[in-house]
Amino acid sequence: MRDRVTQITDEIYLLCILHNVGAIYPERALSIEEISCLASMEKQKVEENLNRLIEKGYAETKTSGETKKYFVTINGMRKVLSIYS
Amino acid sequence: MNICMLTWEYPPRIVGGISRHCEGLAREIAKSGHNVHIVTLEFPGASPYEEVDGVKIHRVPIELGHPDFIVWTLLFNHFMEKKIADISKNEKIDIIHAHDWLVAPASISSKHYLRVPLVSTIHSTEVGRAQGLYNPDSFLIDGFEWWLTYESKRVIVTSYAMKSELEGHFRLPSEKIDVIPNGIDISRYEINVDRNNVKRRFGIDPSERIILFIGRLVPQKGVEYLIMAAPKIFGQHPEARIVIVGDGWVKDNLWNLARSTGYPHKITFLGFLSDQDVIELTISSDVLVIPSIYEPFGIVALEGMAAGVPVVASNVGGLAEIIEHDRTGFLAYRENPDSIAWGVNKILSDFGYAQWLVQNAKKKVREVYSWKAVASRTIEIYEKALKG
Repeated sequence: MRDRVTQITDEIYLLCILHNVGAIYPERALSIEEISCLASMEKQKVEENLNRLIEKGYAETKTSGETKKYFVTINGMRKVLSIYS
Repeated sequence: MNICMLTWEYPPRIVGGISRHCEGLAREIAKSGHNVHIVTLEFPGASPYEEVDGVKIHRVPIELGHPDFIVWTLLFNHFMEKKIADISKNEKIDIIHAHDWLVAPASISSKHYLRVPLVSTIHSTEVGRAQGLYNPDSFLIDGFEWWLTYESKRVIVTSYAMKSELEGHFRLPSEKIDVIPNGIDISRYEINVDRNNVKRRFGIDPSERIILFIGRLVPQKGVEYLIMAAPKIFGQHPEARIVIVGDGWVKDNLWNLARSTGYPHKITFLGFLSDQDVIELTISSDVLVIPSIYEPFGIVALEGMAAGVPVVASNVGGLAEIIEHDRTGFLAYRENPDSIAWGVNKILSDFGYAQWLVQNAKKKVREVYSWKAVASRTIEIYEKALKG
């Protein structure tokens, strides 16, 4: 419980990445491909984790053309910032 | 005096206690006739610039992000520096006031660039929050914290426990540190609330007695010790319910722990609530528990005391300075579910004892922890820093 790096789940790790790169508004949302590249994680795993984040209200999607893009909600931001303070 | 305060959180961007601290302090300093600029970070729905109660709030957009947390921090500090440079084109800044390491690079560079004194408030330390330095990020953050205290003309802390931590861990000279506690706006808690309605609003039966926790769900808050105390509390008080307000990265672990106690149906996780909801829920509660394992101050204790709710808190850090055991609250042993259960059961079983704690606590909050007093002492520190 004491080591914030090793104990963070893939789900929270992805949320942190989305937050840190600035995907906190719909207009800055990122595609699965972009997130997969930033996180060095397989696309399928990224998608599974992002779906869980959406279920919990920490992320949302927007559709840009035919591409689904993801961004962090205000509750998601608070979740990320709790790690850093 | 023109004061430029740097903080990574300012309402509505609320992470922990720093946001409320800066808001209360800045408003009161502005009220006493000084010019206060807050330089903070953007937040969805919040205006990039606004003036509230005389405080000029600049919310800096993070124009460029980075997946790595430390790099992200350095980048937003760069954008803060640019904002301070912009402000300084129009008016002379007299003092830079930094709140915690997250704004250390921008605060230090602005101090040198503007040739003005830097005052910092250290709200907590990495070594305290993480209970040790276990990874490269922690070592780096620890270094930033030391650097900020080194570059500061004066260092403010909110408790003697924190002062002693800085003297020991950073070898900071005692005479450089001032202890100024947090404050609270008591008037916000002096409202009439229909407790039954508030309970219903959050899905709680009006007949249930609320054992409340408010805070970030992170290891330092020790929420697991309250959850582990559940069987002993519900064994004596089946009419009670534990209500957890807040969110954080250990929430899933806490939920699993709640299930393992056999009482998950009596432990409610409400997530993050608005300030007004938190106040109304606090007033409607029967006991507030603060089971922290590390707490440099513990502003939530003041909130409970102001709301007229008996407080059970761990005997650590600032909490042990705010609460006088058996007089203004109950101090439980750190990391000890039995001790927490004992304090909660005593308060729930003995109405006279609970009322005695509440009366003493309200009196103490009113006398000691006003923002006016905090602001006045902070201005004295600014003047001291300006004199050299």
